[in-house]
Amino acid sequence: MLGQVLFSGLALGSIYGLVALGFVVILKATDVFNFAQGMFVVCGAYLAVTALSLLGLPFPLAILFIILGAALMGMGVHAALIRPLSGRPILSIIMVTIALSIVMRAGIEILYGPAGRTLSTPLPSGGFLFAGLRISQLHLTAAAVSWLCMLAFGLFFRFTSVGLLMRAAADSHEAATIAGVKVDAMNRLAWAIGFTLAAIGGLFLGQLQIVSTELETIGLLALPAVVIGGMQSIPGAILGGLLVGVIEQLASTYISPKSADVMIYALLLVILLVRPWGLLGQKAINRV
Amino acid sequence: MSDLATPKPAAAPALPRAWPRRFILWGLALAALAYLPVLLTERMIFGIYLSNMTLLNLGLSQVNLMLIAMLGALSLNYLTGCAGLISIGHAAFYATGAMSAAVIGTQLGLPFPLVLIGSALAGAVMGVVAGLPSLRVQGLYFVLSTMAVHYLVAYVFLEYQFRVFDVVGVPFGTPSLFGFELSTPMRWYFFLLALVALVYAGLSNSLRSREGRALLAMRDHERAATSLGVDVRILRIKAFGLTSAIAAVAGTLYAHYLSNATSESFGITFAIQFIAMIIIGGMGSLKGSLIGAALWLLLPSIITGFAAGFGGGSGIVGSMLGEHRAQFVQLIFGLLVVALLIYAPGGLVSIGPKVRALLGRWRKG
Amino acid sequence: MMTLTRKILPTRSSAYRALLIAAPIIACLGSAPALAQNTPQDGVHPDRVDWGVLMDLSGPTSASQSIWVAGLQDRIRMVNEAGGVHGRRINILAEDNRFNAATDRIAFEKLVSQTPVIAISGMGTSASQVALSPTIRAGKVPIVGTYTSTKALSEPVSPMVYNGFCGYKEMAQAGVGHYVDRLGLKAPKVATVAIESAGGKEYHDFIAEAVAKRGGTAHHITMKVTAVDVTPQALELMALKPDFITIYGVPNTAILTMKALQQYGVKIPAFGITYLGAPQIFTAMGPEAGANYTFASCFTPGGSDTLPGNVEMMTFAEKVGRTAIREDINYVAGWVAGQMISEALQRAGREATRAKLVESLSKGFTIDTKGLSAPIVYTPQNNTGPVLFRMFGYDHATRKFTAFGEYADSARYVQ
Repeated sequence: MLGQVLFSGLALGSIYGLVALGFVVILKATDVFNFAQGMFVVCGAYLAVTALSLLGLPFPLAILFIILGAALMGMGVHAALIRPLSGRPILSIIMVTIALSIVMRAGIEILYGPAGRTLSTPLPSGGFLFAGLRISQLHLTAAAVSWLCMLAFGLFFRFTSVGLLMRAAADSHEAATIAGVKVDAMNRLAWAIGFTLAAIGGLFLGQLQIVSTELETIGLLALPAVVIGGMQSIPGAILGGLLVGVIEQLASTYISPKSADVMIYALLLVILLVRPWGLLGQKAINRV
Repeated sequence: MSDLATPKPAAAPALPRAWPRRFILWGLALAALAYLPVLLTERMIFGIYLSNMTLLNLGLSQVNLMLIAMLGALSLNYLTGCAGLISIGHAAFYATGAMSAAVIGTQLGLPFPLVLIGSALAGAVMGVVAGLPSLRVQGLYFVLSTMAVHYLVAYVFLEYQFRVFDVVGVPFGTPSLFGFELSTPMRWYFFLLALVALVYAGLSNSLRSREGRALLAMRDHERAATSLGVDVRILRIKAFGLTSAIAAVAGTLYAHYLSNATSESFGITFAIQFIAMIIIGGMGSLKGSLIGAALWLLLPSIITGFAAGFGGGSGIVGSMLGEHRAQFVQLIFGLLVVALLIYAPGGLVSIGPKVRALLGRWRKG
Repeated sequence: MMTLTRKILPTRSSAYRALLIAAPIIACLGSAPALAQNTPQDGVHPDRVDWGVLMDLSGPTSASQSIWVAGLQDRIRMVNEAGGVHGRRINILAEDNRFNAATDRIAFEKLVSQTPVIAISGMGTSASQVALSPTIRAGKVPIVGTYTSTKALSEPVSPMVYNGFCGYKEMAQAGVGHYVDRLGLKAPKVATVAIESAGGKEYHDFIAEAVAKRGGTAHHITMKVTAVDVTPQALELMALKPDFITIYGVPNTAILTMKALQQYGVKIPAFGITYLGAPQIFTAMGPEAGANYTFASCFTPGGSDTLPGNVEMMTFAEKVGRTAIREDINYVAGWVAGQMISEALQRAGREATRAKLVESLSKGFTIDTKGLSAPIVYTPQNNTGPVLFRMFGYDHATRKFTAFGEYADSARYVQ
């Protein structure tokens, strides 16, 4: 029983981690605490619906469509909303991301109708027994792909020259500008990556559940994940995502499903009071 | 456009003859405020029936709910704009107010004034507790701690509702203030109007007091405030307690006005809407809170009204509008908020002087 | 010249201000006489009669509620194309409450006094239904054809309220009765899987009551509305091994439960509430898991038989381009509510008012849906509305719903 619950928690947590990773990339680059991340997940799911059900693209092409579409949207959001607001108080920018999610929700419901849609992909959906655990292939695929994406991003961020420039730009805008880094282009790239990671999360969440704008709530679990893991930390986001997934499943099993949220946020409060920089974050934080 | 930021020095002479005009304006405003509920109830003026759109698709309930929201926006703006503390906990304080009102009023059956006092006290205590993390963390981290508090209170409310009242939510009776029953929207209106005026006056007075000035100083320069001999941390907690008490009273009124409250009534979007109100109206400006709350509560309905007029159009746009009118209302509303955030960073209160400057330039030719 | 301008500027600015304030007021008053003949007559105009609908069109439950509204509007469109009622067109004013009690109250008061309507349908948000029920019961505007019914609004019976959707109490009785008899159970062990909500608990209580009457036991298993993975619930079900399951919630609740059970290779029959009867739910489950799932309904979904009522609805839906949603159970429910509206107006007579409408309805009436449901009977003692149920499954090969038995069969289960 415990093993089964842990497996599903870790599988879910991997998807949350992926979405949270996208969140941190955006936060690191542009200091934007993005409340629209949940809607980015929804967008990813609807891009999948568009590619697979409406356009009837073959699966590999559909994946390409989702990634390109999400990256373009991320750049669009950055160019239209985030860049004009750079330097504004943090609360104004948070508010603009909230307004953005209102607009995106309305837009999606106008284009696709309010009724949810089912997503059928050629991904395996069966299950098998392994060491007494029943492993769902879809869960396993989702987790594996999430880990692959996270790994790929980690390698890109650490070892490629663009990744290096991104890190430089994120660490200090001024220093990077002086050194000739195109900070603006790096920020745009960060938004593209953040949106794409959320969209891939949306592809899996949409298949595990059904595709509707209600997926936003699930996408927003990235917020506590990021804070628990450490706001500026990339491994922290992944750890935070896994923790949120496991806590959710454990609380649902042993306490009650409605206690899941409160458990996650109770942990968040404890972390904020005891270790505000998060589990894996660095201790550089404004404290009174 | 950049030269708009430096308006002409306003020729505002303190002429003695400006006084009577000011009184006349105040008198007119008061008369208008007193006549508004009659107009919205009778829906006619000088015996002429006014159509719904003539009155901008507005009714008295919207105005009353707007007044209740103003209480929340005022208190949040006092906290955020003036004291520099950002909070997403306002739904939690509303819920605290509603819950204490349910215990004191619905369960124990005590009179309404006691309900109000009790919920204010509960709100203040809750506010102090929720403000405690501010001793340790700041900025975004503090925002998130209030968000955590929100989820904790929401859970308590849910448990309370299910254990004590079960299925349909928490019921609230018709409140009565010393024999004055708040049984009609009209009565609610005058009660709420007086309350909003009282809270507004109280908060703006407190800003002018020594502690208030220290609060403002603290927002800008914490060290400087400390050197004034004020313990900013205590002051911060005090501000949190005060504003939470106001929010809790607003929550009590909200629950009573709707006569039934469920845990879903006070979700995270409910909390976020107050932040939207003060940003739209203008952070740090009490007047801005009023404008923001009015816009947030009334605008969707006004857009709906106008959209209804276009629903019958032909062609693709017309049929889409007819089919998804509700979504278009949300879309336009969201876009307006975005536009405001980009083009009026100081909120709507900051637009007034700009427009006046523009008019002045235009008149000069 | 310059000095002159300076001198008169203050007065001019105040004049401007006064003009700015006065202009909208003058504009409003100016347009008023043009609209003055629009005096409120309970929403009854020479050429049309206004009827209100209060539903969630853009909130969390809009996926099902907006389809109900579409069904209702299409039925009214059909009536209007045939000349309306007593020579008047029925004009549906659909207000969006976004599943929010405050918005609901605003919209309700708007329909009562601002854009007066003769009656209101829908009221899909149960919390605000409860909040508004004292006003409705004491007021003048009847509620004809509710989307959900709460005890506060419908008990004791009031001449102001006429339920229009399948009630949970009868649904629980009919569903439990059907499964106990079909499976030949003695002391049935039943599990309710429900989202955590007030409605879910109420539904479980009805199930428990119906099961207890047959000497069985009922267990309550909850899940979040936004659940993505229901492993905990599936494990609990497997430990419990119920004879059958009943599901309350959003489409996702049913889909996840059935898919999870299939993952674990468990075949337990299950039935969902009426709202969980959309073709997409069955397609999302897939043929294997979908074979164990049915839903209890007091309406026949579009296309599942060829009785006149169903054919009429399917044809008209095709004509107005609603092929995508015409098989949804919410569509037929809205369609029947539309029929209720036109027949109620027929009864209210040529010079209809709110009072006349209430008077004519309170004597009792019957709606014959030509096979879309059992005849819906309202009496002065009982306004519950549709009470007879059938179970519906889905044939993935033909993409059609299949019905189990007749509506009349459930009469012996429902009290």
